[in-house]
Amino acid sequence: MAPEISLAASTDRRRYAHFPWHVALLALAIAGIGLWNLAAASRGARAPVWIAQSWWMGAGLLVALALTLFDYRALQRLAWPFYGGVVALLLLVFWKGRTVMGARRWIGIGPVNVQPSELAKLAVILALALWFHVDDERRKDARGLLGLAPPLAVTLVPALLVLKQPDLGTALVVLAVGITMLLFARVRFLTLGLLALAASGAALLAFPHLKPYQRKRLETFLNPEGDALGAGYHALQSKIAVGSGQGLGKGWGQGTQTMLSFLPEQHTDFIFSVWAEEHGFVGCALLLSLYFALVGSALEIAGNARDRFGHFLAIGVTAMIFWQTTINVGMVTGALPVVGVTLPLMSYGGSSVLVVFAGLGLLANVGMRRFVN
Amino acid sequence: MPHLPPSAPGASPRSVRSRLAWAGAGVLLAWLLLLARLFQLQIVHGDEYKGRADENYVKELRVPADRGQILDRGRTVLVDSRPSYDVTLTPFYCGKQCGDILDRLAAVLALSSDELARAQGLLASAGALERFRPFTVKVDVKREELDALEANALDLPGVDVQATPHRFYPWGRQGGHLLGYMSEIGPDELRRLDEAQPQEGSRQAPYLPGDFVGRRGLERRYERELRGVDGKRRIAVDARGREKVGELIADGSRVVPSTPGHNLVLSIDWRLQQVAEKAFPAAAGVVLAMDARTGFLLAVVDRPSPDPNQMTGRITAQALQQIRADPLQPELFRSVQQHYHPGSTFKPVTTIAALEEGIFRPATVVQCPGWFAMGRARWRCDAEQGHGAVDFTHALGASCDVFFYTAGAQLGADLIARWARRLGLGAPTGFDVAGEVPGVIPDVAWSDAHVAGGYQRGMAVNEAIGQGDVNVTPMQQVVLYGALATGILWRPQVVLRVEDADGRVLQSFAPEERGRVALAPSTRATVLRGLLAAVNEPFGTAYAQRLATVRVAGKTGTAQVVRMGARRLRAEQVGYFERDHAWFAAFAPAEDPQIVVVVLAEHSGFGAAAAAPTAHAVLEAYFTLQQEDRAARAGATRTGGGPGGT
Repeated sequence: MAPEISLAASTDRRRYAHFPWHVALLALAIAGIGLWNLAAASRGARAPVWIAQSWWMGAGLLVALALTLFDYRALQRLAWPFYGGVVALLLLVFWKGRTVMGARRWIGIGPVNVQPSELAKLAVILALALWFHVDDERRKDARGLLGLAPPLAVTLVPALLVLKQPDLGTALVVLAVGITMLLFARVRFLTLGLLALAASGAALLAFPHLKPYQRKRLETFLNPEGDALGAGYHALQSKIAVGSGQGLGKGWGQGTQTMLSFLPEQHTDFIFSVWAEEHGFVGCALLLSLYFALVGSALEIAGNARDRFGHFLAIGVTAMIFWQTTINVGMVTGALPVVGVTLPLMSYGGSSVLVVFAGLGLLANVGMRRFVN
Repeated sequence: MPHLPPSAPGASPRSVRSRLAWAGAGVLLAWLLLLARLFQLQIVHGDEYKGRADENYVKELRVPADRGQILDRGRTVLVDSRPSYDVTLTPFYCGKQCGDILDRLAAVLALSSDELARAQGLLASAGALERFRPFTVKVDVKREELDALEANALDLPGVDVQATPHRFYPWGRQGGHLLGYMSEIGPDELRRLDEAQPQEGSRQAPYLPGDFVGRRGLERRYERELRGVDGKRRIAVDARGREKVGELIADGSRVVPSTPGHNLVLSIDWRLQQVAEKAFPAAAGVVLAMDARTGFLLAVVDRPSPDPNQMTGRITAQALQQIRADPLQPELFRSVQQHYHPGSTFKPVTTIAALEEGIFRPATVVQCPGWFAMGRARWRCDAEQGHGAVDFTHALGASCDVFFYTAGAQLGADLIARWARRLGLGAPTGFDVAGEVPGVIPDVAWSDAHVAGGYQRGMAVNEAIGQGDVNVTPMQQVVLYGALATGILWRPQVVLRVEDADGRVLQSFAPEERGRVALAPSTRATVLRGLLAAVNEPFGTAYAQRLATVRVAGKTGTAQVVRMGARRLRAEQVGYFERDHAWFAAFAPAEDPQIVVVVLAEHSGFGAAAAAPTAHAVLEAYFTLQQEDRAARAGATRTGGGPGGT
């Protein structure tokens, strides 16, 4: 029973004296660019998605704001129930989910369709933050293999469920977030080495069990021109879009790859190529700098967190934004294989927007309460 | 309620700081790597990707050039182009539905099973890049079928209607061999023609599969002039190949206009051709009219001929087979590709040989008892009772064989052949519209080489009257009679001018002499007297065909196709292919020759009856038209001068 954790205290004006405004400004700048870019991408479409996206972003802002109203430590109580609920939803998807393009990723809750895989990211962040918060307190030494088993399990259960949907991209992000958080916990170096070895071995063993389309994507990644009209089409057209942006880009709304629908999934996973085509290297450098300034600020918040729970919470959210950005841009520029990962604040999609804003809200919460005791 | 540990002491321990430093370094590295990758794509290879992006959406469509027209000397259109509405299918855009779509097209367009099978074959064989190339499903689609298609356009991805210029021959079979026809280019031909292009230094676009090229006649001979230069239209398409209207392509580079092909103006007078077509009753044969003063042809009737409209991409394999199997050989351009015994039309050659070689004198008289004997062999004359005492005039006019048997027996094959060759026989005439056969003028060496038993003296007897192994083409005959008329051996030509689409003359063709036949004036006079007698003397074979106003010089001929038995039979009494060929060759006016006419009616019997009337009609029409034209010209000058004078 900690009396200082009180929801009433959150309304105190002084709390906002430490609000991380720079993080908010960076995030809002990216979100604004994202809307503007979506407007270019959906020009001429019957239902301009940027309008829908701005509603989602409005909702996201409310969620983020709501998540700053109370002391984040209150979430410790909610971490496991939330985690359990998400895992249950992930299981539910298998027999009640909606199939879209061969994958069961959606589930209807009342009138809304939600993607439990997006929620899984938050669930893993919360659960791991709590686990390390509690567990690190108890141990004197760094963790061995045994000590790592619970957090690994916490990460792998939702990750595998997501992978089964199949949604390789989100599963990878969940895994990357979990492992990143793990690296910030106290772990023996030898154990880490063993884990790395085991992971590479597992990847090699897993390759034959990948879905044919997933394997094809990997093969295509290695030789994208080999099948320019088939599996390599996405990768190639995306590279053409990005490359043809050259230094300054073709100008807003002037991207021919975008306008003429040569880009697949240009509103969602490949939204960065629209930006790259129309604003060139200069625009890309600017956008990437915003992202990495955001990630850097988030790391700073993690470093200054008041407690271990806040620290790991911030690390988790940072890892989520960092990995999604890196994997997405790497994929769009053909540096990484095509996996379905959205670009935070740029890609169209309600679940993705809400989860990112929720993460940012948590981040702000940790940041603004760093001096509170 | 779980146990909640208290807050961590202090801000962050050292180990956390070092981890954060590592993380910061990792993040920075990722940022740099991504920027480097973007730099590589956008700056280093930017131009290349820009090019590929443009290639993605800029499609170059061909704007086919209008092929040049073929006109007669009075600018009557003999060959033209018209739009043909063709339905095409592009396999890439219909994808897996292609088969269904083809079935539905078959229903809407009433495709024959042949057409459907052909389209299905093309669809099945289209691989890789060919899937982007539309192929033709049906040509010449009717208006109401187009409407039905348009109503269903949304359900038929990949289906397009294209207005393709198509060759149109308004006169059908008339002049078919001369004008020729077109057909689809073959793969080898494609390669050959496209390789030949650079040397010709033309701006012409390369040929593509599916293009039509001139296949026969003038269409083939003047392919380069007629074809024109294709233009280009650049359009923007989206990823599904649909055209996008907008500002994607700069106005200046959107269209490269096509340049129409050149027009050919022929020496043919289509009015005369029409008269000849009507006046010529035979199913197979030739009517040639040539300007005696230039060697330019005025009419070329050549039968039978396939319909060029049908031959130009509108013929079924079955119909083509039928044409190939026709015993009349409709694909043969008889004027130059078939040779015949000239029969009595050859007698002027023998006349010239006999006089020039000094065997006969102009006044020589031969007794004709109705037969001629050499050794044990006997030759019959045309008149069974004999002509009595005949000179050259009678012998040519009444076509006495015995007179020429006698001359031939004394001349021998070599001397006859010498003069036949000097008069243009036995070699191509140089008419370059189609491949020519040279004909046969046998001399002793030829007979030794080609006839079992070698040369016999009696052969010259046959050859003297245009039988035996003497064979000539109708074109050689018209050149020969031109030479008899004027002494000039013309190269027969048919194209007067090549003009561009605006009527500017690019090239005009001058008359071409192949030589002059040097004859003693008495020889020429003797020949002319004989040819005049044939038409204008009551004993002449073509006396019935004389003209009232103009003196015609001519010669009938009846070429035996099969060696006859002892009894003469009427034409109706023997099978078609055993009947004699009927010849008539003439020029007029005799004093100042302007026109040469040669008529060959295959298997039609006597030249006087079956060929001469056609020539008569052509000659009569020629002089009537000449008068009309003169009157029209005079009228035009008068009315043209009127307003100008005030």
